[in-house]
Amino acid sequence: MTLADYLPIGIMLVLAAGFVAVSLLASRFFRPNRPTPEKLDPYECGIVPEVEPVQRFPVKFYLVAMLFVIFDVEIIFLFAWGSIWTELGWYGVAAVLIFTFFVLETLVYVWKRGALDWNVKRRSRYLAPETRRAA
Amino acid sequence: MITPEISWLAILPELGLALGAAAVLLVEVQWKPRAQVLGMVVAGALTIALAFTVVQWIRAQDAVAGAGQLGDLVAFSRMILMDGFAVFGRFALLVTTAIGITAGWRLIEGLGRRRAEALALILLASAGFSIMVSANNLVMVFLGLEVGSIALYVLAGMTRSSSTSDEAALKYFLLGSFASAIFIYGVALIYAGTGQFEILAIRSFFSAFIVTSPGVILIGIALMIVGLGFKVSAAPFHAWAPDVYQGAPAGFVGYMAAVAKIAGFAAIARILITGLGDLEVNWLPVVAGISALSMVGGSLLALVQADIRRMLAYSSVATAGFVMTGVVGGATSGVLFYVAVYALQLVGSFAVVAAVSGPANSASSMDEYQGLATRSPGLAAGFTILLLGMAGLPLTSGFVAKFGVFSDAWSAGYQWLVIVAVLASVLAFAVYLRVVVNMYMSDAEGPTLEVPDTARWVLMIAAAATIIWGILPGSLLDLASSAFPL
Repeated sequence: MTLADYLPIGIMLVLAAGFVAVSLLASRFFRPNRPTPEKLDPYECGIVPEVEPVQRFPVKFYLVAMLFVIFDVEIIFLFAWGSIWTELGWYGVAAVLIFTFFVLETLVYVWKRGALDWNVKRRSRYLAPETRRAA
Repeated sequence: MITPEISWLAILPELGLALGAAAVLLVEVQWKPRAQVLGMVVAGALTIALAFTVVQWIRAQDAVAGAGQLGDLVAFSRMILMDGFAVFGRFALLVTTAIGITAGWRLIEGLGRRRAEALALILLASAGFSIMVSANNLVMVFLGLEVGSIALYVLAGMTRSSSTSDEAALKYFLLGSFASAIFIYGVALIYAGTGQFEILAIRSFFSAFIVTSPGVILIGIALMIVGLGFKVSAAPFHAWAPDVYQGAPAGFVGYMAAVAKIAGFAAIARILITGLGDLEVNWLPVVAGISALSMVGGSLLALVQADIRRMLAYSSVATAGFVMTGVVGGATSGVLFYVAVYALQLVGSFAVVAAVSGPANSASSMDEYQGLATRSPGLAAGFTILLLGMAGLPLTSGFVAKFGVFSDAWSAGYQWLVIVAVLASVLAFAVYLRVVVNMYMSDAEGPTLEVPDTARWVLMIAAAATIIWGILPGSLLDLASSAFPL
């Protein structure tokens, strides 16, 4: 592998950067320039935004999103195993059972801790009394 | 039919730890028991893991003695090794975990319903680092490193109410992930240069071929040294250590630092000495430089600290340098002995810090230790033994450890490094003596100190180990020297 073999990558880089530069410059020179306040606003579905984009929203969304990602990733691992599980035999079954046990155990834990409860008041009943008072 | 040679024994200790972590969490949410019940579950998991480790040790020794086959020590498609080196590292990790949990028990109890999470994280961290010390595949080393490190990041931020704890966790996380990324980049370059991920295969590659243009490989080695150097807090990759040691809850810091050191140095020794031994002309000067910088820099900076935790952090940077002289010496047994001995001293010292300044507290000013000898004579005596052990006074285990690595480096032809190391040891001695003088030669401020029983036990074990292995080091030295890697 010599440096010359990397030449196509270099050409690709130049082409990509050139395309961006040319399109941006061309549109800057040829476009009409008539700004209005609406046009300068950040784009949001083509509707005039009603509230500031940055605002507080409940942390439970993050919790659900995080749990979703965890189980999503588990499914990805199972796909890899599922495509060759007949070849792996009982060893593969045992390995996947161990893996699934740990994911399920996590689900049971977060469930019992109330992470799946949408209602925050009901969630806090899982906490110990001393923690509830603090929260 | 793909049938990897399965030897479940190879991962039973880790499996035990992981199942223990799961059991702790499930017991907690189902029965909400007292902390002692969770402690018993954890103790059970650790006992099982230790028992399997002993079985592995016997097997490894049999295989080396010719009673079994060396091939038996390689498991899971050559991913995991059960050689003496791995088993010794595992054993040290498990013992450190048990003592670390005992040392942090008051903190864990105070965490309320989150105590199960702390215990589970500790067990998972140990399982990860245990994989790291026994991995033969560089990707497996990385996997273990990440499992362990991520658990440690969370432990650093376990006291959520304290902003310094948050700061420590975030700093540790950001810098740590960066170091992990650098390490895995190095692994990728080694793979690009040799076509191998396995440490044993890399060794046979280099003994079979002479690489004429090893540029990629050398960059790979450099990146791996940087990544692992960060984990063991060797200078100049030590910047995170003082902040994390100071900010993280005192009950956990000793454990966190000790297991990261054991696993990091086991990985460094295995990768550099075993895997890349034939390229040592290339990496020896670098490691020697890092070692000298850590020893001198760490000792000098420790001398000027006003906070005992920052002082211990910089002294652990210096210790990383001392252990590195063993890596330069090329003998894995000296490295193993040093980290095993130092891990106990570190956990014991932080048990003292937790007892004096509160387990969840993050400020531990040196002033709090003034006249500690009158406020709590036992604590001061134990701490003195540990500090003198770290300093390497004769008749402590620290001396035996330092003597071992220094003589290895001397016979490897690095006389200048040994001279620097001895001078740095003198500096380090001043560091530790300052605390001892502070404890004994000043007047006490404040009432008699209430020392929890767990801290007392940990301190007794650590101090006893320091003295016993200082006077009669033979037992542990024999174990360490028969714990050589495949």
